[in-house]
Amino acid sequence: MSAASPAADRSGDAIHLENIVKRFDGALALSGASLRVRRGTVHGLVGQNGAGKSTLIKLLAGLHQPDEGRIEIDGQVYEKLTPHRVEELGIHFIHQDRLLVPTFTVGEALFLGREPRIAGTPFLDRRLMQRRAGEILNDYFGVRLPNSALISELSTAEKQIVQITRALLDQPKILVFDEPTAALVRREADILFRLIRRLRDEGVTIIYISHYLNEIEELCDHVTVLRNGEDVATLPLGETSAAAIARLMVARDIAEMFPKRSVTPGKDILTIDQLSSRGKYHDISLTLRRGEVLGLTGLLGSGAKDLIRTLFGLETATSGQIEIDGKPVRSVNPAQAVDQHLALVPEDRRGNGVALDLSVTENITLSSLKRFTRLGFLDFKSERQEADDLIRRLEVKTSGRNALVRTLSGGNQQKVAIAKWLSRHSEVYLLDEPTVGVDIGSKVEIYNLIGDLAARGAGIIVLSSDLAELIGITDRILVLFRGNIVHEFVSSQTSPDEVLAASTGSSETLRHVG
Amino acid sequence: MSVDIQLAPVIHFEPGQSGFSSARGVNLAAAALRAGSLIAFVAILVVFSVTAPYFLSVGNIGNVLGQSAISGVLAIGLTIVLIAGGSNVVTGGIDLSLAANMGLSAAVYATIAQLGYGDATAVAAALLTGGLIGVVNAIAVVGAGIVPLLATLAVMNIVAGLELVLTQNTVIPASTPLLTALSSSGLFGIPALAYVLLVFTLIAAAIVQYTPAGLRLYAVGEFPDAARAAGLPVRRLVAGAFIASGLCGGFAGILSVSNLSGSTTGSGEMLLPVVVTALLGSVFSRRLVPTVIGTLLSTLFVGFLVNGFQLLNISSVLVSGVQGLLILLVVSATTLLRRQEA
Amino acid sequence: MTLQTSSIGTPTLPRLLLGTVVDNALVLALVTVFAAFSIATPTFPTLANLQSILVNNFTLLAIVAIAMTFAVSVGGIDLSVGTAVDFASFAFVSLVLAGQPVAIAALAGLGAGAAVGAFNAVLISGIGISPFLATLGTLFIGRSIQQLLTNGGNPVYLPPSGAPEAFRFLGRGAIAGIPVPLVIAAVIVAGATLILTRARFGRVALAIGIQPSVARYSGITARAHVAVAFILVGLIAAVAGLILSATVTVYIPSSGNAFLLNAIGATFIGTTLSRLGRPNIPGTILGVLLLGIVANGLLLTGLNFYWQQVGTGLLIFAVLALSFINRRKATA
Repeated sequence: MSAASPAADRSGDAIHLENIVKRFDGALALSGASLRVRRGTVHGLVGQNGAGKSTLIKLLAGLHQPDEGRIEIDGQVYEKLTPHRVEELGIHFIHQDRLLVPTFTVGEALFLGREPRIAGTPFLDRRLMQRRAGEILNDYFGVRLPNSALISELSTAEKQIVQITRALLDQPKILVFDEPTAALVRREADILFRLIRRLRDEGVTIIYISHYLNEIEELCDHVTVLRNGEDVATLPLGETSAAAIARLMVARDIAEMFPKRSVTPGKDILTIDQLSSRGKYHDISLTLRRGEVLGLTGLLGSGAKDLIRTLFGLETATSGQIEIDGKPVRSVNPAQAVDQHLALVPEDRRGNGVALDLSVTENITLSSLKRFTRLGFLDFKSERQEADDLIRRLEVKTSGRNALVRTLSGGNQQKVAIAKWLSRHSEVYLLDEPTVGVDIGSKVEIYNLIGDLAARGAGIIVLSSDLAELIGITDRILVLFRGNIVHEFVSSQTSPDEVLAASTGSSETLRHVG
Repeated sequence: MSVDIQLAPVIHFEPGQSGFSSARGVNLAAAALRAGSLIAFVAILVVFSVTAPYFLSVGNIGNVLGQSAISGVLAIGLTIVLIAGGSNVVTGGIDLSLAANMGLSAAVYATIAQLGYGDATAVAAALLTGGLIGVVNAIAVVGAGIVPLLATLAVMNIVAGLELVLTQNTVIPASTPLLTALSSSGLFGIPALAYVLLVFTLIAAAIVQYTPAGLRLYAVGEFPDAARAAGLPVRRLVAGAFIASGLCGGFAGILSVSNLSGSTTGSGEMLLPVVVTALLGSVFSRRLVPTVIGTLLSTLFVGFLVNGFQLLNISSVLVSGVQGLLILLVVSATTLLRRQEA
Repeated sequence: MTLQTSSIGTPTLPRLLLGTVVDNALVLALVTVFAAFSIATPTFPTLANLQSILVNNFTLLAIVAIAMTFAVSVGGIDLSVGTAVDFASFAFVSLVLAGQPVAIAALAGLGAGAAVGAFNAVLISGIGISPFLATLGTLFIGRSIQQLLTNGGNPVYLPPSGAPEAFRFLGRGAIAGIPVPLVIAAVIVAGATLILTRARFGRVALAIGIQPSVARYSGITARAHVAVAFILVGLIAAVAGLILSATVTVYIPSSGNAFLLNAIGATFIGTTLSRLGRPNIPGTILGVLLLGIVANGLLLTGLNFYWQQVGTGLLIFAVLALSFINRRKATA
């Protein structure tokens, strides 16, 4: 089937997902989301982290099955999608994580699964693969890669191109791009945009997911905004703007969730001076005071996450200085950072934050075991007491202190991850997306906890892409864009759209910094 | 192809910006490692040939090839499992039942031959035995989901037991036309087994290195998510690798009968040397992955080492020590390289 | 959705053994096998036979398997446990033969085992080689060293006259009617259980083994703990080496490798069949018992000797398959 044929017929819907509900371990990821994409258009999909974008896309890819709702592709209703069926339907995904085998050549990676053979033999036609790969890359993108180049030797942009080319070989009917430009410089992004428009003109339907709202504005015909697992609006781009989309993305009705705090910040506890890490962030200087909650935000690749990781000793800076309580520190590993009373609550809670197969108690005391050790042996009684105290204080909902953390809800797992540092008596808390995948009730409790910690004199840095949350719980917000602090907001005097505009670069001319 | 898009060639990737430089650096180091291993191989050959003049004679090289045939076939079988299972030997690809498989297949062959059946029947029975063991491994790993290390460990015990049952722990002598042919000398007075090893390697390499199936095995082992995304039948490929490895065990069994004029006990001794050989093989490939040819080189490396030690009257007890040191050196080098990269 | 109640009680020894940590499936398997053999062969459940199981099929393997459990607890594996057994045995027998006091020789033996462990620790924690490959290398180097030390693999015999009283006591003596090796094994079981469940080291080791990234993000220096674990493996395996050589009054090069695969089997049976999937001493011990009972029981059934290995293999295979299939169902 030729990919150009559906171009004529733009009347129908390529995709119609209706009232999709999806739960994970009881937590609602999608609560009745709909997505309707017209054939042969570029359709933007936006929403903050946790709004349900990735869940929706995984449903479309057949990786998850919806609990409720209706799936219609090209006018045909499907009970369930499987990855195989999705492929038959001509739906292809350009993933954020590039699924290419690192030790393959470009030709091998492109043709994996549909390898050409030397005519009349069962053998791979490596030469044809190489030649076709060269031709295709040159034709589509004007890229020349050495024949022998391995995937592991390519740049991120080049890998991205190989991935897209792979999809094009299948003559897709529907192409889904998931944050395709996060790792690209502007010039590379422009080439991608031209390709996308070209594909659309030839009748391919495109779903485009991005945090960069100006890209959505520039590229898309329609946009659907997701918020809290629902679609809040689907608009033609002619009738809306990046700023309007930003307003839709940010929920306004939860403002009252945020506890009112009145803490007078005390002495400086953390000072960062001219900290740089090559290719990640440059000349970052900031000061955090006791009792202060400092917000940090930025898109993927802005350097905000790298900064947090550096503070905790997971990465090293190339230059600059970090001081805690006036003393210069240089953490080369997390153990040293922890000894400096730093605490990190990582974004990947289930991977790095809590050990799922350890109990609540074992998790809570993991960093502070020394305190419960007498002559090398654990003092179970005081350990239990500590766990019970913290479970009570943080209102961790669990069947008991001996329950495996795996059995807890996301919010309660997060409380355990924080409790670990309370037990360690940490003083500088680095909270990386602390409420991702956390239900509303627990969110409020975590906000209260953050306020409580600040009131006790801790210094807190919150990295979050939930801007309403950031404004609600912080005193100040620093916005990073492409490795620089581009804006500082006083939380009480700004709005989510303002911060969003700064972090997407659309309020500045910084988009072209590249 | 109807999607035909022409875009002006506008992308120029600056090396520094696109991360080329660092990746190339790592690759250089990998190339150095590979070159280093090859140089070490050649150096050993040179040292031996200088100190023992007979070493590089056609006859001696043929002997080494012949003596390496059995371990070579086994190591190539294991290589296929390593390719499809990925680099983590504990959770990924390993087949501990290979050596025991060889023992049982040899016993089956010898028993059938002794019962008066022809070579064709005996060969079929031996290969069937090996293949069945592979099937059991495949079912255990892919079907029941047992980690390969444990699954093949249990199968190894069963197979070794069956061998004992069949042989009553004795040597079963066997003599058939095939065995006579295998244990004779061929062209240039080189043992027939040497030719068998070379032909077997060529066939295995043709399949693993030059067919789509082989390419897919690599994808499955190195990046299962990418393989799944490419729509490959991951489970079937892994199962296939275990069955292929089982067949190699059966084939090695036949060779071992010819080598020893009967089936003998103690095949289990070959397991760990074969594991080391297969793991070492990856330094002989450009991409530092297991390959059939790499495994052949590593088998011959060990073979020449043993042979050279014999010729020089150096105790062959050093061989396993040298093998151990080699694997530690190679793995340390790769580990340190990778750390530098990160 | 069913309410999950996975939880860990306070680890007291009786509760451990009664299945709080050890899955009931393992106890059930053991009881079933025990009952089956008791019915099949009247001699099986006799006191004399049970004692023989403990002495012949249990002691040494139990000690080596406990050593292995420490390697597995930090998420590793040690293919060179047998090497530590051998080195300890060699040092012990050689020094006794040379007329050194038994105590000194025993200490040297323990030191030799610990040295093997320390070598592994350097490779794994220092260089960062994966435990499987590192210990595989050690195994091979150890084999050569032993052959070099023994002129190509000749056993080192201790003539009966040359074996001091203390030496023989270690292998064949009894305390209050209980064989000394069994007493030592019991002490090691108790000590290892204590370390793994009550010592801070054990807790941290398990955390590293279960989720290394969380341990790292919690400020734990995994390397140090992994190093200690592997040294401990060598040390404990060395005890088995001492008992082995004292029992047979001879050192045979590379004989310790005979324990390797069964030790791995017992440890992983204990780990995979425990309800929490954690490496644990009671589980390992039950795994060793299972292997020992099956070996002994099959022997008594008069089954052809060679069928016994097949039976053992099949049984382990069945147990593993059932547990993995079960687990898959549970998580699906």
